[in-house]
Amino acid sequence: MKLLTHNLLTSHVRGLRPGGGYPLGIQATEVKLSPVDFNAQFVARMVPKVQWAALLQAAQSLGHGSDLPPEPAPGYESDEDFLRRLHHVLLEVEVVEGILRCPDSGHEFPITKGIPNMLLAEEET
Amino acid sequence: MEHEATQLEKQHVHSVYESTASYFNDLQSKAWPRVRQFLLEQKPGSLIADIGCGTGKYLAVNSQVYNLGCDYCGPLVEISKKKDCEVLVCDNLNLPFRDQCFNTIISIGVIHHFSTKQRRIKAIKEMARVLMPGGQMMIYVWAMEQKNRRFEKQDVFVPWNRALCSRPFSESNQTGDKNELNAKNQDIHLQQFTGSECAYAVNPKLDFDSKHSHSTDHCLPGTCCMKMSEEENRFYRALGRSFRLWFFSRSLDESALRKQPEKVKQEKNIGRWTNSAISIQPSRHCSLDLGHPGPLLKERSLDDDEVFLESVSLGKAQWMAASNATRDLSGEQDIQSKHEETSSLSGLMEDKDCSCTCKKDEGDKSPASKLFKRTSTTDSTDSILDAAVTVGDQTTGTLDTKAFMRYYHVFREGELCCLVEENVHELQILSSCYDHGNWCIIAEKLGKSLQTEQHKNFKVA
Repeated sequence: MKLLTHNLLTSHVRGLRPGGGYPLGIQATEVKLSPVDFNAQFVARMVPKVQWAALLQAAQSLGHGSDLPPEPAPGYESDEDFLRRLHHVLLEVEVVEGILRCPDSGHEFPITKGIPNMLLAEEET
Repeated sequence: MEHEATQLEKQHVHSVYESTASYFNDLQSKAWPRVRQFLLEQKPGSLIADIGCGTGKYLAVNSQVYNLGCDYCGPLVEISKKKDCEVLVCDNLNLPFRDQCFNTIISIGVIHHFSTKQRRIKAIKEMARVLMPGGQMMIYVWAMEQKNRRFEKQDVFVPWNRALCSRPFSESNQTGDKNELNAKNQDIHLQQFTGSECAYAVNPKLDFDSKHSHSTDHCLPGTCCMKMSEEENRFYRALGRSFRLWFFSRSLDESALRKQPEKVKQEKNIGRWTNSAISIQPSRHCSLDLGHPGPLLKERSLDDDEVFLESVSLGKAQWMAASNATRDLSGEQDIQSKHEETSSLSGLMEDKDCSCTCKKDEGDKSPASKLFKRTSTTDSTDSILDAAVTVGDQTTGTLDTKAFMRYYHVFREGELCCLVEENVHELQILSSCYDHGNWCIIAEKLGKSLQTEQHKNFKVA
């Protein structure tokens, strides 16, 4: 699971307050780094689509927090250094084994072989 | 009804895909061209979700976008993952994504697996929820109206049988050579379509014993107009018999309408349905005799709305009695009017009378009736029958004794459009067409996007 994917994920356990399922806390037992070709334009386009605070928190939990600024600075589109670091965090850091935890309910979704399982039992939906 | 729906889907969608996942060979199953084109047209840097991605054949079409696939079936998702796709396991009815996060969504051969109209609506609404305003969604569902034939009913169980698997025809095969095809006849290792491409949904009325073998409709791609060998004729006949083994069901929506005297028996019925996959009503009448395919067909045409049997190998005639309790419920109604009543109920359930304003693509405006006259050489989902000839010498004896039955609700022309127009107002249909035996729509999400400011203020716990 890449961190870009994680940024889109939310818990949907029944009864949560709006926004109570996001962002999911990451507890990783196995992380890998996979090289991905750098495409500056692609990464720049991701910036408005990600929830920056959630991305920071996720990166921090995996030890990559210092790679990113607290917020994207104006003119980030042409800041190659920033884009490369963002590229690395979003696309190259992958959680292979671990758990995603719902912030409000504490419900845990497993990540196995890089695949998050977001299914809930019938009674939880 | 929600519980029955989930049970039905659990047994006849999810567990079938789980059990058969290992037979899927994605190398062989090709992306539908229109879907490919749709994906390639998306802006670079887009976030695209394939909801119901299966083995992920659409996830690598466009490398300029971020492709995220998800599926209910773990084993299929694992196959996807091996190809380095970004995938997860989840439920279409409860997508684990925040609102408005995707630029584009595709749903190819998925919605037809939901067993009630409400669930189909919910699935589409969920996808609309996670789509950004201005973003587009493409949905493909299996059509009731197929190339030369049509399903008798909309709610069908299709047996999956390993011996009937075959290599789907990619476009290249349409001009492929005959020798290659014949060589495949000896190929024991068989591959399988995913999802809606798995087209052994053949109209049992189709008579395989007829002289159609020389009509272009049944020509094998790449071997058009070739004469069929005696072997193949035999095989078709055998296949024909086995294809008569799949069935129709009353839809769950229809069942809900017939509540009255059933109430008492409700509990037992549900258990029976979910456990045995046989009849949902107490069985009362016809036991269909496997040994005589002729009468079987005739009987079916009379009460196909109530017949629903489990398929096993041809060697063992383990037919179970079909039920026709509705006949009993309505007492004196004869079979004919029962059929009509069921049809009109289906009509009610499926919004037959809605006035669709959706546009259709230029080239595909033909209403379903005209489709039957087409002798298109493009493969449709029902060309699996033709494709199955590559099984070659496989006799009926090699068919698995257990055929997994997959549930589909096949869509009439206009039904998908109406479903969206009437129930999912946040989507506006841009176009619709018929493609490879599927009804396809492209719709756009309406509305304003969430303010970025809201997210900046979001406090991280």
